[in-house]
Amino acid sequence: MALIEMKHIEKDYRLGETTVHALRGIDLAIEEGEFVAVWGPSGSGKTTLLNLIGTIDEPTSGELRIDGHDVSNLSDNRRTELRNEDIGFIFQGFNLIPVLSALENVMLPLQIKGQSAGRARKRALDRLETVGLADFVKHRPDKLSGGQQQRVAIARALVTDPSIVIADEPTANLDSDTSRKIINLMQDLNQQGKTTFIFSTHDQRLIGEVRRLVRLEDGKIVDGGNGQ
Amino acid sequence: MTKWIKIAFRNILKNRRRSLVTILAIAIGFAAVGLFRGYAADTYDGLRVSAIRGEGLGHLTIYKKGWLEYGNIDPDSYMLTKEEIQKTVELVEEEDDVVLATPKIHLSGLVTNGMISTIFLAEGVVPKNDRTIKGSMLAFRPVKGEMLNEKKPFGVEMAEDLAKLLELKPGTDAVVMAGTLDGQMNALDVEILGVYDTGIPATNDKFIRFSFDYAQSLYDTEKAGQIVVLLDDWRKTYPMRDRLLKRLNQAGLPCEIRTWNELSQFYNKVRSMMDMIFMFLFFIVFVIVVMSVVNTMGMAVLERTREIGTLRALGLKRRGVGILFAVEGAMIGLLGSFIGLILNIIAWAIIMAVEPTYIPPGVSSPVPLTVKLEPPVVLMLMAFLILLSLIAAIMPARRAAKQNVVEALGHV
Repeated sequence: MALIEMKHIEKDYRLGETTVHALRGIDLAIEEGEFVAVWGPSGSGKTTLLNLIGTIDEPTSGELRIDGHDVSNLSDNRRTELRNEDIGFIFQGFNLIPVLSALENVMLPLQIKGQSAGRARKRALDRLETVGLADFVKHRPDKLSGGQQQRVAIARALVTDPSIVIADEPTANLDSDTSRKIINLMQDLNQQGKTTFIFSTHDQRLIGEVRRLVRLEDGKIVDGGNGQ
Repeated sequence: MTKWIKIAFRNILKNRRRSLVTILAIAIGFAAVGLFRGYAADTYDGLRVSAIRGEGLGHLTIYKKGWLEYGNIDPDSYMLTKEEIQKTVELVEEEDDVVLATPKIHLSGLVTNGMISTIFLAEGVVPKNDRTIKGSMLAFRPVKGEMLNEKKPFGVEMAEDLAKLLELKPGTDAVVMAGTLDGQMNALDVEILGVYDTGIPATNDKFIRFSFDYAQSLYDTEKAGQIVVLLDDWRKTYPMRDRLLKRLNQAGLPCEIRTWNELSQFYNKVRSMMDMIFMFLFFIVFVIVVMSVVNTMGMAVLERTREIGTLRALGLKRRGVGILFAVEGAMIGLLGSFIGLILNIIAWAIIMAVEPTYIPPGVSSPVPLTVKLEPPVVLMLMAFLILLSLIAAIMPARRAAKQNVVEALGHV
């Protein structure tokens, strides 16, 4: 059984009087430990697809299973717990909590989970060391460069040892050199553990470095879906 | 919980100016309410002493059963006889908490200087007991001349405006006339021992104070209207009333007993007025605190929409988001109350140091304006304002918690 299974997924949005069909009949299966890039032009449905996999949005129709669980049957609280335990997020704008230090930001998902501050600190320090930021643990986000902030976000996404990490255009706000380093770091982390990485991008230069590509156009998978 | 308190505190610091305005609004409101409550509490204390000692009501007043209803129509039947006075005083003074029990009589009639005549209202009191009851209040109602005393039983104290009307001064004589309980007209010579200011214009041209025995002779009776009881502590008023009522009735002395606060209309009116002002002030502070906190937290929720989306994506439940903002509101309330407490103490210390005075109604000389600092009341007020801030923050916090994660993350 695949870690992520999407069957006939449709997602519609109401935009005033009109209905926008963001996703149209998506069938997708992603195995444990895969490193997947979702790419396509703006408005193709990349972010919507990632939001659904990340359980922060619900499909209009179709079936989404994560690790065998039908996500549409889960309550909001259960979905929130699932995100906390099994899904890590890396955002385009880094989305670090501005009043917390790098270390405190990385500790946060563990503390939400209910872990003690001591254990969370130890684990967060370990993750920050992994992403090469051991010397910046006390820095607040506004004292870090874009690349460093995204590294903190990666450490935060990985700190709970999730089975899935979702990254929505993680390099969009970074220069090309830093972008390559971030993608390489994600790939390294993917190879070191069993975590599945799914990220969206429309940067052609990065696509060449990824094993599996899923291409979206007008809400449909045109390349890289099931069995391809 | 510590992490949410840390985040809340840092966010308060991050938005220093906005937080400061809200915290100061709460602080000033707290100090205003705290000071007024302290002033009111001190005033109630003053009014209580004024009623018990200044007005000479004592803590309890004992009447013969039926006096309050029929005493005015048929005083002779409802006044306490000599034997009843003696038995009642003896029985009451057996109680350890009783300082004294003393008879009193109220009179009315005409007073004349030989040229001008006018009506008077008077009370007849036992001078020695009256001085004990008045105690420290004598300083606030000074008598020009002599006070009532046993050496001159025919002497009276006369209200200032009445003395002025009759052109009487201490040492001069006048004649008082009144109908006896039998309905006969009686007249007695009196010497004006002293002149005093009642503090109330309506009574300052009518009041006279007699020695009890001389007042009895004007009415040609050995009876008394009531017996005033002074206790060693005002807090014992109600238990003592119940106890005395039971004992007097058992002793075959059917009676009615009124407490000082039931009898002092002045105390009750001023207290209800002060309570009303306090409620008005408290309501204003209540509205300011609620509006300030709702506004501050509403803006915080709006500005941190993306942060809320991030926290929800990281696995924070709706309840957690609500708690985060509620904690921030409560913390603003805590800081505001704490600064308010400091302001309150500073203002209290200044008032204690400067010792300003004023002349309240019913008092003829300046009294110090003092403000009480009551730790239990201040702590209750603190707890209330913190709770109020927390509740006020719940509304925007609930809005924050209900936000759609995707929309929150996309918020610019």
